[in-house]
Amino acid sequence: MKRYFWMLLLAMAAGKGLAQDVRTDKAASVSFFSSTPLEDIKAQTAQAYATLNVKTKEVYFKVPVQSFAFKYKLMKEHFNDSYLESSKYPNAEFKGSVVTDADLAKDGSYAVVVKGELLLHGISRHYETKGTLVVKGTEVVGDARFQVKLVDHSIKVPSLMLENIAEVVEVTVHADYKP
Amino acid sequence: MKMKYLALAMLASLSVHGQAPADPLLAGLDSLEPAHQPVIGTYKSTRIILGESTETLHQRELDFRVAHRFGDMGGSLGGAKTFFGMDNSTDIRIAFEYGITDRLMAGISRSKGSGSFTQLYEGMFKYKLLQQTTDNSVPFSLAFFGNAVVTGMAAATAVSEASYFASFNDRMLYTAQFILAKKAGALSLSLSPTYVQRNHVVYMDQNRMFALGGSARYKVSRRMGVIAEYFYPFRNRAGKDYFKAQGQPFYNPLAVGLEIETGGHVFSINFTNATAILENQFIPETRASWLQGQFRWGFNISRRFHL
Repeated sequence: MKRYFWMLLLAMAAGKGLAQDVRTDKAASVSFFSSTPLEDIKAQTAQAYATLNVKTKEVYFKVPVQSFAFKYKLMKEHFNDSYLESSKYPNAEFKGSVVTDADLAKDGSYAVVVKGELLLHGISRHYETKGTLVVKGTEVVGDARFQVKLVDHSIKVPSLMLENIAEVVEVTVHADYKP
Repeated sequence: MKMKYLALAMLASLSVHGQAPADPLLAGLDSLEPAHQPVIGTYKSTRIILGESTETLHQRELDFRVAHRFGDMGGSLGGAKTFFGMDNSTDIRIAFEYGITDRLMAGISRSKGSGSFTQLYEGMFKYKLLQQTTDNSVPFSLAFFGNAVVTGMAAATAVSEASYFASFNDRMLYTAQFILAKKAGALSLSLSPTYVQRNHVVYMDQNRMFALGGSARYKVSRRMGVIAEYFYPFRNRAGKDYFKAQGQPFYNPLAVGLEIETGGHVFSINFTNATAILENQFIPETRASWLQGQFRWGFNISRRFHL
């Protein structure tokens, strides 16, 4: 009985130790931008969930698709209903890790490379992107910018489209990670 | 002995380590999802085929709408000689509708009219009372639609005609309607209890009529939905029998169609036995029958602008 107690305690301690290395931002911002001859399409959300483990250097992002705000509500409707099909695929998710050699527990500004899988519109793709991490005490500020090709995630722009949609959109992410 | 358990515990902690990042923190993440999000795209347009949907325009959106119903495809007026009804049009409606707020819209329209009245000018409004949410905190959408229609046609001289106007009031028609809709996955269903008032009607016809409409939409692809719509007017038995005996029976409007959204435009192609476009006419005055080939193809085109 005692043995099990010890086991449990140790396992819990291990789990707790892990949680201490995790920095979280429950209101991370994600925006995307697509430039077309007709008009620029911009959308942003500040309802993304982001975590960073400073020990294992794992990175995680989860974005509710319906939280993106657009200039026009009709754009938002089309974005959700016809492009991202958010009723079927409500979230976009990124799971990856920082591959650059840097000790994220130490203060400093690091130019890093992040590798991982982006699950968008139900289709997962491998991404490798540059970003910056600024560590200050227990807080980390992360920024990254990368390109998403719509065709990679089977987001179709029909040929009889009257809206102008670019084939590539630029995604910007920003997170203020706190313990 | 103790060492063995220690190793086990370490292993247990390692296995936690090997999983997705910060799994202990991801538990209960769903609660972070934005609550009470509106269900998007119950219908692609403010109109289903015949009647109104629960969708309203957003604030400062102008919707330019053109609806068209051709002539009978089959029956005595159809076939090759009228190119399956394409040579004729039973009704045409041109409308401008505007979003005053995200829930309130109003519009004006002109229809050719089909039935006892032509040259119809309409003023309409629609208000969304309830919007279904993704978490089902509001389980369905509810809207109220109302219109007032005036006919500009010349008055008939015979008292027995519907268009014999003793006063200006006789030129008026009204509709009041609740639309109830629910979307579940790719399927949208709606129910529309409707009241139609016509101030001047022919002998044995009704000034006031209730009707129940219903529709089903199935989203078949990202931009396409298949729709069927039906209206059941509660016409009194005596009236029904009288017009049947006169050889002019009434039929219930049934429509099937396809709606295609191309970004800004919504294009609905449909087939229906209803000759008229306005509720004030197709509910009480549909005299064409599917079974006799008296159905027509038609389209509704909507183009939205941001002002």
